[in-house]
Amino acid sequence: MPSTYDIVVIGSGPAGATTARVAAENGLRVLLVDKRQELGAPIQCSGAVSRHALEEVGVPITEEFIQEPIYGFGIYDHQGSASIIDYRQMKPDEYGTGDGKKPLGYVVDRRRFDRYLMTLAERAGVETWLKTEGLGYTPNGSDSCEIRLRRFNEDITVKAKVLVGADGLQSQVGKWAGLRTHIKITELASCLQFVVDRVETSGLLEIITGHEWAPGGYAWVFPKGHGYAEVGLGVICTMTDKNAQWHLDHFLQRSFFKERFADSRILEIQGGGVPLAAPLRTQYADHLILVGDAARHVNPITGGGIHTALSGGLIAGRFLAKFLTTGQPATAGNLKSYQDAWLEKLGDKMWQLYEEKTQIFRTNDLEERDRQLYRTMSSYFHPESEYKKI
Amino acid sequence: MSHRDPVIFQIGWNACINCGACVAICPQEAGFISDFDTIAVGRPCDIACMLCEDICPVTTITHREVQKFQIDEINAA
Repeated sequence: MPSTYDIVVIGSGPAGATTARVAAENGLRVLLVDKRQELGAPIQCSGAVSRHALEEVGVPITEEFIQEPIYGFGIYDHQGSASIIDYRQMKPDEYGTGDGKKPLGYVVDRRRFDRYLMTLAERAGVETWLKTEGLGYTPNGSDSCEIRLRRFNEDITVKAKVLVGADGLQSQVGKWAGLRTHIKITELASCLQFVVDRVETSGLLEIITGHEWAPGGYAWVFPKGHGYAEVGLGVICTMTDKNAQWHLDHFLQRSFFKERFADSRILEIQGGGVPLAAPLRTQYADHLILVGDAARHVNPITGGGIHTALSGGLIAGRFLAKFLTTGQPATAGNLKSYQDAWLEKLGDKMWQLYEEKTQIFRTNDLEERDRQLYRTMSSYFHPESEYKKI
Repeated sequence: MSHRDPVIFQIGWNACINCGACVAICPQEAGFISDFDTIAVGRPCDIACMLCEDICPVTTITHREVQKFQIDEINAA
């Protein structure tokens, strides 16, 4: 007899681990699997997350995963004019390093952060298996589904009422269910970043806009702790005939920051695909839901996905705990309420952001597009922005 | 989609940074992945859209064309 769980989660990133933890905290029997031997690696992310996002989902803020506290933003146009949004100056009583003051957010170490989130899940009662790959799933009447796994070369089948696909942008789980997960080439940014030594930072996430530096996306300089920085960018490859690597070299050597980067030394090289796209239109099937990058729960303007993964995990975990106590079968029709709950809390705003982003890149006049992107980014990160908490 | 002949992708592993972008953009069905979490190598892709080559941040994916009749031989091998 296969082992039986209430839910099985494939992928232990921020979305999967949070879904699993919240479900277990609410009484479900949960199995969380990940194919990797160490979570978080290979790193495909810059690691910026707001303090609010962590607090909202009950993740204790600890030294274990923090690389550097963040106090605001610097948004640059293509020539280097900046709007600085430093909460230490705008709200000095709340933000800063003194007693009773807090950072706005953090740059986290994704290896340690993801491991910590899995630890929290494990402590909440989740069974966790590493080196375990998902091979497929079969809905089994209205009761449950069978999930085929391979763990250290051993084929294992388990049963669950709901399978949660949290296997990232490369999601195979979504494909198993025949969901339309395919992303357009014009909406997936090709990203590359270096962790560097000898680049000064000052507690701000710096975002550099402009077609010249990052066609279709933006470039960034983030503090990485211990005096290190992350310098990276994302490009839409239909808007350039060069690759991200060329653009990053160009940015390092030719931009208005070239003096600042002159002594930089590369310590790590990381890349990834970042969706600047709308959420998946259908994130559920019979006995199956998707969360996080797999459901494209990513901010289409910033490409930020940690906050949205954590929040989505909280919504999914709570939903499943409540839903499964009703005894209703986990059919696609019934699981639609998960997506409805998610749309109400987060998704509708993400759709608005997507429309706004699409509008900007529909502008053919490059100068006008640069102006619009700079303006949108500057207002997005402003304390009064209606999207502040996305 | 293209009407080209199928292709077999090759990855220059020396430059691959395991970013997963090729798998993320790939329109193939589930499982068209290599043991190193890139798009599949060593078996034919009949879509041949080349989006994986376009998205690669370090341009380390290339391909060779295979005739349709050769695919059976490859699969048999």
